[in-house]
Amino acid sequence: MSATAPSPTAPPAGRHQEVLRLENVGVFYNRQGGLFDRKPTRMWALHDVSLTLYKGETLGVIGRNGAGKTSLLKVLTGILKPDRGTMINHGYRAALLSLQVGFVPYLSGRENAILSGLLLGMKRREIDDKMADIVAFAELEELFDEPLGTYSAGMRARLGFSVAVHVDPDVLLIDEVFGVGDADFIRKSRKVMRQKMRSDKTVVLVSHNTREIRQLCDRAVWIHHGKSVCEGPPDEVLRAYQESVRRQRRG
Amino acid sequence: MGLAIFKTYADLRAESARTYVGFLWWIAEPLLSLGVYYIVFELILDRGTENYVAFLFTGLVPWRWLSTTLVHGSGSILFADNLMQQVYLPKVLFPIVAFLTDTFKFLVVFAVLLVFVRISGFPLGWSYLALPLVLLVQGLLVIGVTLIAAGITPFIPDLRVVLENLVRVWLFLSGIFYDVGALSADAQWYFRLNPMTSVIEAYRHILLDGVWPSFAWLSIVTVLALALCALGALLIHRFDYTYPKLANR
Repeated sequence: MSATAPSPTAPPAGRHQEVLRLENVGVFYNRQGGLFDRKPTRMWALHDVSLTLYKGETLGVIGRNGAGKTSLLKVLTGILKPDRGTMINHGYRAALLSLQVGFVPYLSGRENAILSGLLLGMKRREIDDKMADIVAFAELEELFDEPLGTYSAGMRARLGFSVAVHVDPDVLLIDEVFGVGDADFIRKSRKVMRQKMRSDKTVVLVSHNTREIRQLCDRAVWIHHGKSVCEGPPDEVLRAYQESVRRQRRG
Repeated sequence: MGLAIFKTYADLRAESARTYVGFLWWIAEPLLSLGVYYIVFELILDRGTENYVAFLFTGLVPWRWLSTTLVHGSGSILFADNLMQQVYLPKVLFPIVAFLTDTFKFLVVFAVLLVFVRISGFPLGWSYLALPLVLLVQGLLVIGVTLIAAGITPFIPDLRVVLENLVRVWLFLSGIFYDVGALSADAQWYFRLNPMTSVIEAYRHILLDGVWPSFAWLSIVTVLALALCALGALLIHRFDYTYPKLANR
């Protein structure tokens, strides 16, 4: 166990600086019945997940629907705490790339950008500094002080993505490489996400798209029924994953 | 803290933008509710002693600070579910924002009350200096009960319905429609178990009688309020990571 916690601003020292680590992590939900079924039953969304995230890498998490990927993301962002096992975080802030957090239709685009930015963990100062970039990226210059309620769904999506992508946490968590808005913006938003993953940013990409994991990730983890089955180079992990998918289809 | 303030501002802005006359409702709505009680007690029941309107309003306005915040705040964590699934936030934020928005609205109405009391010619004394203290004590009490209600409700959402009725019972036990000081000593003792009795009385001492409030009773209320705040904060902190799980059951 490394005793010294590197500061988040420390320069990337190769790929072996540990950012965070999960050891045999499990998370359960209580499924409570109604009035006539008082006894809560524990549903373990994660059984036993172990993984290590290194500075500057992009770690792919692959698994089928219901494998526990969403719960894993919630543990990594700190929304949920492991109910068993441990998470060791060496002082880094991890955040999910989430869109339109806290958006209110009655406020202007600018006010929504501030509110959303604050909720996503930015400081007010930081938001003000980045405001010009946020507007420009969202392509909303003329309408920025109009109420959000007057925006089209596409415009709202653009603003939501623009704020989210400017948050810039130490560890960026992405749940699928998605595109938002109209065709042009879909391309633009996907491009930004890919750029982040190819750069020195520490990213966790959760996906069931094997091609994306192979293209974008330095390492990968396969989660199956709430357990981490294997961790390593994407090719190896994906081979094992696809093998299992094939076997399941056959049998 | 910056987040709590901006969220409060956003909630207030959103609320005023939602209706036709906007923030005028912050004054009109309490006035309407005061008007209802005035009609019932002064005109229909004819309970009217001298200055009954001022007596009623100095009780009801602070009371509404408690009741609106408590009812609004009790659902604050419950209804923030969507937000807490997307990002980690200390859950205490939600009842605090509810408290701040309702406090702002209360202060607007309280200013109107002050004007009303002044133009009605009640004595103006040094005791007005104690007014901020009384507001602070009541504020602590309001935060305390709101934190506790907000912390429990996500586990038992049905509690909100019960709470609204409990609040109504509490209203009638707080000496808002009658003067607790005029009751027998024995009866008074029971009413003193209710901290709002002492708070309301303190407002009336200052605003209507021009005398100092009872600092002994205010100290007792302060101790109780601080204990409730601590209990509520501990409760919410204890279940900080449980609340996001409750929606998924």
